[in-house]
Amino acid sequence: MKDKTFKMFSFHCVHQYILKLSSAVLICFILIFNNCVQHEKTTGSPPFVISQEQVSSFVRNFNPLIPSGSSRWPTVSGIYEPLFIYNSMTGIYVPWLATGYEWKDGNLQLDVTIRENVTWSDGQPFTAYDVSYTFNLKKTNAALDPRASWGYLKSVEAINDHLVRFKFLRIFVPGLHALTEQSIIPKHIWENIDDPVKFTNPNPVATGPFTEILRFDHQIWELGRNPHYWQEGKPAVERLRFYAYPTNEQATIALINGEVDWAGNFIPAIDRVFVGRDPENHHYWFPRVGGSIFLYVNTTKQFLDQVEVRKAISLAINRELIVRVAMYDYTIPAHPTALADGLAPWRSPTATENGDWVEYDIERANEMLDNAGFKKGPNGIRLLPDGKELFFDISIVSGWSDWIRAAQVISQNLKLVGINTRVKTRDFGAWLSSMQNGEFDMGIAWTEKGPTPYRLYRGLMSSEFLKPVGETAEVNWHRFASDEVDSLCVAFEKTSDKEEIKQIIYRMQEIFVDNAPAIPLFAEPSWGQYNTKRFTNFPTEKNPYAQISPNYPPENLLVLVNVEPK
Amino acid sequence: MSTSIQYLLRRLGFYAIAAWAALTLNFFIPRMMPGDPASIIFARFRGKLNPEAMVALRETFGLTDEPLLGQYFTYLKNLLSGDLGISIAYFPQPVTEIISTALLWTIFLAGTSLIISFSLGTLLGTLAAWKRGGRLDSFLPPALAFFGAFPYFWLAMVALFTFGFGLGWFPLRHAYGDAVTPGFNLPFMIDAIYHAFLPALTMVMVSLGGWMLSMRNTMITTLGADYITFARAKGLPSKMVMLKYAARNAILPNFTGFGMALGFVLSGALLTEIIFSYPGQGYLLLEAVRAQDFPLMQGLFMTITLAVLGANWLVDIAILFLDPRTRR
Repeated sequence: MKDKTFKMFSFHCVHQYILKLSSAVLICFILIFNNCVQHEKTTGSPPFVISQEQVSSFVRNFNPLIPSGSSRWPTVSGIYEPLFIYNSMTGIYVPWLATGYEWKDGNLQLDVTIRENVTWSDGQPFTAYDVSYTFNLKKTNAALDPRASWGYLKSVEAINDHLVRFKFLRIFVPGLHALTEQSIIPKHIWENIDDPVKFTNPNPVATGPFTEILRFDHQIWELGRNPHYWQEGKPAVERLRFYAYPTNEQATIALINGEVDWAGNFIPAIDRVFVGRDPENHHYWFPRVGGSIFLYVNTTKQFLDQVEVRKAISLAINRELIVRVAMYDYTIPAHPTALADGLAPWRSPTATENGDWVEYDIERANEMLDNAGFKKGPNGIRLLPDGKELFFDISIVSGWSDWIRAAQVISQNLKLVGINTRVKTRDFGAWLSSMQNGEFDMGIAWTEKGPTPYRLYRGLMSSEFLKPVGETAEVNWHRFASDEVDSLCVAFEKTSDKEEIKQIIYRMQEIFVDNAPAIPLFAEPSWGQYNTKRFTNFPTEKNPYAQISPNYPPENLLVLVNVEPK
Repeated sequence: MSTSIQYLLRRLGFYAIAAWAALTLNFFIPRMMPGDPASIIFARFRGKLNPEAMVALRETFGLTDEPLLGQYFTYLKNLLSGDLGISIAYFPQPVTEIISTALLWTIFLAGTSLIISFSLGTLLGTLAAWKRGGRLDSFLPPALAFFGAFPYFWLAMVALFTFGFGLGWFPLRHAYGDAVTPGFNLPFMIDAIYHAFLPALTMVMVSLGGWMLSMRNTMITTLGADYITFARAKGLPSKMVMLKYAARNAILPNFTGFGMALGFVLSGALLTEIIFSYPGQGYLLLEAVRAQDFPLMQGLFMTITLAVLGANWLVDIAILFLDPRTRR
């Protein structure tokens, strides 16, 4: 009898009870949550939601000086401001906390005029003494000087409230860029900080358009307007909001759902996936202001050490196909000088003409390899002088699917000219260390970026960062150096004369095109998406007042002060 | 009783040695990975930082060229004083601070789903074995084995897509919503449960079958034992026979398994946390490995190691009470 009742209990009651309970709980949750959402929607004007950092949870850090990028995104592109902002769309230094600069004493002295009537967000006046304090703090803390400014600076001194004088150890004109883009911090706050390197600066006092932390939780935080901002009537946006999206997929879903107003993600098939969802409001713009993406070949390896071979490899690559298959036609094949649209005014006509090796011409590639003395073996693969078949790895970071597809195209292309390759994917750390140590055959990677092509060519061809195989080289992974480029770099560092600079850059391009130290593949687009449902006045192709991508601080300041609620 | 204490102390000694070995591996294995943290952070800027920045980066993180053995002793010394160092990826946040927030969410999510899945699975296993061949016994095990065969991240993605993205019943991400303030208040707690529901559900669905099957199988063996027949013959109530005689003995292997699983809770349900953007330990670990954040990795591995060992020790104690044979 007892057995029977227990059976009844176990088979009917438990089942039914669990079922009823769970559905009741479910309905409760849904009701409660819906109420919460409705409640939230009624308060205040809409926040401007930005998705740039992909993190699982936010850490409250607003230190604009530490180089590791571990402070929150707006720290150097909305909270703290630099002296000038380089606008990569126009190529102009926009005066920001400074109003002008002047080279003096044969380029050994730089006088910068500081803007008047600027106040810190706590109401204190901003002066040239804050600027000199910022730079001198970097002198005493090498960790805060990622641009190694004190390698060429002698002193930084405020002459009066509105004039700062930079004195140089040696002539180094390109140093101007690093000096202008330095975020300026308030002396009256930071002089009381014991260790500025480990200071997390939880409540920033700054000059930027947004300075007030309205809320800070690990998954969401909000940044409000600076009550004392120096630009009258700006910013028009009341507050910025940031959500923690740990992965690109999560960020993309939020963007598609219309929860994000401004983002800089890579989205596959964006016209269908993102724009198609709301064609009226969902927009993107991928200007090619970044650098170029390269196929690096290790010039210390037999075969790859020959200029003609590298040019032949380049000729064998079908860049149109790569751009279509790997990059969804978001970009275009690389220019022979590797200068993308943003640096197009610098292109040398001679170099452009000589750089015909970025075209797609299998026949010519085969011919060049034949002439170089690498005959095809019985399998159709070319042989080294010792009779071994050519075989190279193309190293790519695992999971970087766009570049993996590009490498697969290259691998197929190279087979047609008798070079056997294998696409080898590796974890980021392992990949990076093999590239930096020169222990690779071929690999796809980026280049250095800057306002002029100087940094690009210096990184690709000067001996300054050249290291023997086995030692870590931060740039110049392919290990190529030219004495002429070294002397051109020195000449470039010494001059502020526009015509002279142009001639130097032209000559660098010619050397690049003659030697093919690395093989440019396609221009690197800068990703930018925006939603015009709640906000307007984003930079667009028709109104390119700045570049749209939020991934380029401090240029993003230009967008933040111009975006307006609808 | 003194033999029991001796037994526990002996186990404790064993765990101490195991902890030391694990902590030593924690130190050396991450450092055997190719690359170094400063280079990786530099490379993440993809050309936006000059090579000159490397000096500043190494200076910031205090990376030294000190011999590894010297670093190892400093590491041990710091560990003993509870200093886990400063994270590199989240510079300059102390590792203890980063781990403590993630730890709570992981314990909440993975811990709750483990307890639900263990107790529900064990209960269902007991019932199924008690009435072998019944409806519960013939229907549930294959169904649960079916769900258990799915990789849990796959089930999580399907659940997220259907109930989150498609139907919009559940939130798509995070441990709590924007409208609530974290703290000891009712709306926050309800919201936290609401956010944990879907990830916890997928984890329970996948692991339930294992608990139920193992319980059912041991239970069936136990039910064949002479003392069960004797208990029945004595005329004891069947509920008592089932729970106090059969289940108590049959639960021992499951209980050991529970201890193991409890320890592994801290390693986080890595993929579930990533899919639901849940701010727990699992995702943190992935980030730490990607950035070669040695201090954070060491801290995370240490909490996991200590949790596994601690949970095992607790199981040792529990078994001592459940199983008189160990007391001899």
